[in-house]
Formats: sequence, structure tokens, C-alpha cells
Amino acid sequence: MRSARAIFLFAVICLLAPNTLVRSVRADDLAERAHKLQFSSIVIDTHDDTTQRFFSKAGFDLGKRNSDGAIDIPRMREGGMNGIFFSIWIDGHIMGPTAIQKALDQIDAVRENVAKYPKDIVMARTAEDVRRTHAQGKIAALMGVEGGHMLGNDIRMVRIFSDLGVRYMTLSHFYNTEWSDSSTDKPAHNGLTDFGKEIVREMNRQGMLVDISHVSDKTFYDALEISKAPLIASHSSCRALCDHVRDMSDDMIKALAAKGGVIQINYEKSFIDQGYKDASAKATGGVVEMISQLKKTCGDDEECFEREGAKLEKRLTDEGKLPHVSWERIIDHIDHAVKLVGADHVGLGSDFDGANMPEGMEDASKLPKITEALLRKGYSEGDIRKILGENTLRIMEQAEKVSKELQARP
Amino acid sequence: MRSDVRRTMLFVSLCLAVFVFVGTGVSGDDITARARNLHFSSMVVDTHADTTQRLIDGDFDLGPRNLKGSVDIPRMKQGGLGAIFFSIWIPSKITGPIAVNRALEQIEAVREQVRKHSQDLVLATTAAGVREAREQGKIALLMGVEGGHMIHSDLGVLRKFAELGVRYMTLTHSGNCEWADSSTDKPVHNGLTDFGKDVIREMNRLGLMVDVSHVSDKTFRDVLRVSKAPIIASHSNCRALCDHPRNMSDEMIRALAAKGGVIQINYHVGFLSQVFRSAERAHPEINQSIAMEVQKRCGEKEGCQLIEGDRITREYVEQGKLPRVDWTEIIEHIDHAVKVAGIDHVGLGSDFDGANMPFGMEDATSLPKITEALLRKGYSEGDVKKILGENTLRLMAGVERISRELNTTKRN
Repeated sequence: MRSARAIFLFAVICLLAPNTLVRSVRADDLAERAHKLQFSSIVIDTHDDTTQRFFSKAGFDLGKRNSDGAIDIPRMREGGMNGIFFSIWIDGHIMGPTAIQKALDQIDAVRENVAKYPKDIVMARTAEDVRRTHAQGKIAALMGVEGGHMLGNDIRMVRIFSDLGVRYMTLSHFYNTEWSDSSTDKPAHNGLTDFGKEIVREMNRQGMLVDISHVSDKTFYDALEISKAPLIASHSSCRALCDHVRDMSDDMIKALAAKGGVIQINYEKSFIDQGYKDASAKATGGVVEMISQLKKTCGDDEECFEREGAKLEKRLTDEGKLPHVSWERIIDHIDHAVKLVGADHVGLGSDFDGANMPEGMEDASKLPKITEALLRKGYSEGDIRKILGENTLRIMEQAEKVSKELQARP
Repeated sequence: MRSDVRRTMLFVSLCLAVFVFVGTGVSGDDITARARNLHFSSMVVDTHADTTQRLIDGDFDLGPRNLKGSVDIPRMKQGGLGAIFFSIWIPSKITGPIAVNRALEQIEAVREQVRKHSQDLVLATTAAGVREAREQGKIALLMGVEGGHMIHSDLGVLRKFAELGVRYMTLTHSGNCEWADSSTDKPVHNGLTDFGKDVIREMNRLGLMVDVSHVSDKTFRDVLRVSKAPIIASHSNCRALCDHPRNMSDEMIRALAAKGGVIQINYHVGFLSQVFRSAERAHPEINQSIAMEVQKRCGEKEGCQLIEGDRITREYVEQGKLPRVDWTEIIEHIDHAVKVAGIDHVGLGSDFDGANMPFGMEDATSLPKITEALLRKGYSEGDVKKILGENTLRLMAGVERISRELNTTKRN
């Protein structure tokens, strides 16, 4: 009896063991490879709205692990994120000199907060800076101005922002600027005005990447025609998978890639999941409408904005009005874009701290999952490194080169 | 006999002539040559010129020699000017974000000139940077914000100005700002407000020189108490010689010097000459008609206003409506300040392109005259070098050192 039990147990173990062993070895192998790859790569996120948190009354601390939001040094470290573009953003209705002054305040807040943790994070300006910073084991902090309205309709501000370290400018935010149409506003300029084209040329001259996330399709094509440097879509996903005006059609992605540009996949649920996007449109009127409602409720109170947004999101999800969205949709968008234009033209632009994250991608600590998922999908390590950050560095280098060439001319 | 006498007389007069010629010639040539050598081997620093406003008007460039105004690259080179602070200035009645925007435009215009003329110019932000420019045979351009109204009571904006290369801020211009009283406005803050004191502390931390030209006497005293770094009067003169609120009393000059500061002598006739100042005060209608004429010629173009103001004033002097002031008055103010404060505390802050220049100091090419005049007055070469620029560089280096100390303390 006893021996029978022992034999049975042994048999069961024998049957199970190879399976578990094989599976665990294979899984461990991939997980380990993914971990190594993630933590030896330069991982750059080209769009984070963390900047606005610096203005919260409670005093957001970049150096401490926070229980809310998605970005802080401990979680960036844990997730292997070593390049971050802090977004300089103010509401697109604010224009003129006030917009300039508020943008300066945000640039200042990034610098002042980064300066508090010199052992962990330093300001970077060029691709070379990012690589050097990475080699020193530190995180590179960069800045992008999210919305041409912050120029206050003054082309000199392109140079001022550039001199202050801003490395890309999104031509518009949710609303048209004086010189460019937004994808979420009624077209007023038929794309870029002549002055808008001047601005793109000046950005080229300064080596500032031209960001076409948020702009109307016509503005995109105008920018593509004018710009001498490759363009960036700092945080946009694929319309083929989720039909949102903020995303890019296959034709647009192809045109962007043909001129060397990169689409940086955005993790916002309503940009990556058709079901969510449709439900959200029904429940709140869509993301633009929802944000503008929240702005009305909260004004400039960043904490209120975050709190009310999360509350609304939770309530609608609990009521079944909004579907659950898995982080794996991000992989679908990366894969779609890669299949369309190749691995040289796709990157990551999370929209952390500025959007609704899918389940499983709540914060920067979750980033290694993307690497592992891509490996599992059969992507080569080289291709994954490109997606994680090398593509972004390449277009930065190209923009820097174009800038040098243009400035060498009289 | 006659021929002997004649020959003797000829000989004597020849000897006399040669003696006189050689005598005066030697001493004249000697000092002139020494002055020239001294001037062109010294770091000559001017801490205040309003040339920036001409850049904003749109039709001015530093490259070619200009017929109007006082400053451009050829004339700076001819005058041996090695470093110049371009003033970032808008009228103090312009406040709010628009003031920030317009200040940024001027900062950008200066930076653009440096980019454009990189063979001749370099943007400097430190004393070492100024010396380095010199070693490269270039002129160092620096920037000072002339008026606290341009920061819109926002320390973030102040920090961005510093980051863009601004190295001093004059706390006010002609009108009070939100946090400091001006010498030419009615006091409303009793000097510096608490926020004004925060501004000074932040300037100390950033290594921005605190400029007390234009501020009220009480603001000056408040600054002196709060500032951890020596302070600058970027373009002010001696009240003892010309009683103008824009100038400094002997007591103020002594207090400034006691804390390591420097008074940079301004060449504006209304600050140099009591006679001119009195005439201006006795005939306010003259200034009014000058202002009207300026308006007619320039409209709202501020660079033009400054240049034309100088030209029209000169016309009035030539017509005998205002007294003539000679450049030698500059030497009187330098000499007075040196006597009051000591040789380590006096420098040059011309106010070129922003004020009415005296006869003989029309532009930067006339600067070597100052060196020669000081040598003739018996100043040692070392002393002259201090006045020409070394005092300013020492002050800058001192402010930089304090900034480093404060940043280290803060980080620890």
C-alpha cells in the first residue's frame, strides 16, 4: 500500500517533471534574456506628462517612490527606463506671452527637480548626452514642448526653447495654434500656414525634432514636406487598430518612415483599443471632451485633475460602461507599425502621467514586459533595442546633423 | 659779426627749437604710446550699453561700422573694448508676461548676433569666459537685465534668464517694480519687499550680479544687507559732482566698496555734469521738445529713440540751448570715486547707445582717451587696468565663488 502510493507518486512526478522543467527552463531563459536586454539597452520614453505633477500643491517628489502616477526615479530604475522626455505642456487655450511665461516655469520645474537628484538623473540635450549619461548609470532627462501655442506666435521662442534644452516641439495640442491645425479641432489653416512652415524650418535649424503627434493629417503632410530632418510622432498609435484622430493611418506611418521618422507608440487606452475608444466616446464624449470637462471642474489644480479623472474612470469601469484594456494592446500597436514600416521606425511614447494606462502597464516599472513580449513574438534583440530607444537616438542625431548643416550656411 | 651773430642766433634758436620739440615730443609720445600699449593690453570691460534695443528695431547689425550710435564690432575693436554687457531693457511701465516675452526677444537677439558673428564675438557668462574670449582674439558679449519688472515676480523666469546667459539684473529701471523701489519713482515698498529679498538670495545662488544702478537709496541699503555677494552699480556716477538721484552719494559708494562692490562710471551728460543737470532742470520744456522730436523720428522704436535722443540733445547743445559737456568729466567722476572708495572699486559703465554722450566720447573708439587721461593724472598702470576691467572681473569671479558656495551648502 505504502509502496503503491510511493510508486504512484513517483510516476506522477515523472510525468509532471519534464513538462514543468522544460517549460520553466524555456520561460526562465526568455525572461532572463528579456531582463538582460532591457537593462543593457537605452530605453527612452519620448512623452511623459510628469512635469505637471511638479506643480501639485502636495509637492511631488521625483526621487521617492510614489503610490500614484507612473513616473519617479525608483520606478524608472525598476523598469529600466533611462531616457525620459518631460513634456512642457499648458492648456492649448492659453496663448501669447502668458503661454511663454508658463512654459518657462515648466522648463524651470524640470531643471530644478532634476537637479535635486544629480546621482540618478541629469539633463541631456543630444543623443551623445543620452549615451554618456547611460554609460554613467544615470537617467537622461530631456524636454519636449507639447504644443506650438507656447511660442506665443513668436518665432524667436523656438531658439529660446532650444537654448533652454527643449529637443522637440509638438506643433499643436488639442486646439489649433495660430499657425497649425490640430487633429482634434476644426481645421482653420488647411494644415500649416506660411508662418508655420517658417517655424518648422527654424526648428530644423535648431536641431529640435518636429513632433507631429496631435496635429491634423494635413498639418502632418505639410510638416513632412517642409522638414529637412526626420519627424517624430512622440506619442501616437495606429489608426488601423484603433480609429482615433490622434493616431496615425497606415499611409501616414509609411510616409513618416519613408522620410526616416519614428512613431512612438502611446499607451493611452482610447488610442490603442477600439472597444474602449467607442465606449469612452459614448460615456464621456471622448478623451478630449473628458479632459476639457475635468479642466473646467479643477482649473489649474493638478491634483484635483488626477483625482477626478481616476475617479471617473473607475466609476465608469465599475459600471461596465468602459471595458478593461490589457497592456498587450501596446504590443499589438508596436507589431502593426513594425510590420508596416520595419523596426527602424517604431519607438515608445507612453504618455505616462498624462493618460489612462491599460491594465498591466500602470507605471514605468512595468516596461520590461514590453521587451519580454517582443522577444516572445520572435523579435531579434537588435530590433528590440531599436524600438526601446535606438531609433529615437538615431533621429535625434539626424536632427542634430541637419541643424549643423543649416547653421553652417550663411 | 653780423653773420656770426646771425649764425649764433640761428644755432641757439635751433637748439631751443630742437630742445622744446624733443622735450615735449618725448614726454607726449611717451605717455601716448604707453597709454596705447596699456589700453590695448588691458581687459577693457564696459558693464552697460543699450545696443540691444537697436537690434530689436530690425535694421541694425553689429558687423559693419555704423554711422549712428556708439557700438559695433569695428568700433569696439578700434577702441580696444574687450567685453561689453548688452542691456536687456524695456520700459518699466511694461509688466506681466509681455515683459518676459520682450526680454526673451532681446536675449535671443544678442545670442543671435553672437552666432552670426562667431569670428568676432563670443557669449561670456563668467570672468574666465571673458579672459578666454580675449585669448581667442574675440570680444566677449555679456548680458544684463535692466529692470526687475522683466521677471514678472517669477523666480523661474529669473533662473531661465540666468540660464540663457544673463549675468546681472538691475533691480529696477526708472519706475518701481513689484518688489523694489526706484530712485526716480515715488517709494511704495520702502526699499525691497520680502519677495525682493528672495530675489536677491536667488540671484546670489545663481551667480547673477545684483545691480543697484537705478534703485532708490533705501533699496540700495536693503540690498547691501541681504546680498551675500558683492554688488555692482553697472552705470552710475558720483552725486558729489552731479546731484542726480541716479548717482550715488559718497556714503553709498563707500558702503558699496566696503562690501567689495564696484561703481561703474556712466558717461551720460546729465549724470556727469552739474551744469548740464541744472540747465535741464531749469528748462524742462527743452527735454519735452526733445522727447517730442524723438517721438516724431522714431515712433515706438526704442532703439531709435535712444540713439536719436542723443543726436537731438547734441543738436541742442550745438545751438547753445544746453551746456556743452566734455568727455573729461568722466575722468573727474572716476577720480572722485577712486578717492572715496579706493582703486579697487571703480569701473566703466558707459551707457552707450542709451544716453547722451559728452563731446569727445561719441563712441567706443574714444575709449583709449580714458586710459591716457588717467595715466596723465598720475595713475599707475596697474591702477588703470583695474578701472578698465579688472575690478569688474574680480567682482564677477567673487559672485561666482559665492554662487558655488551657496549651491554646495544647499545640496548638502
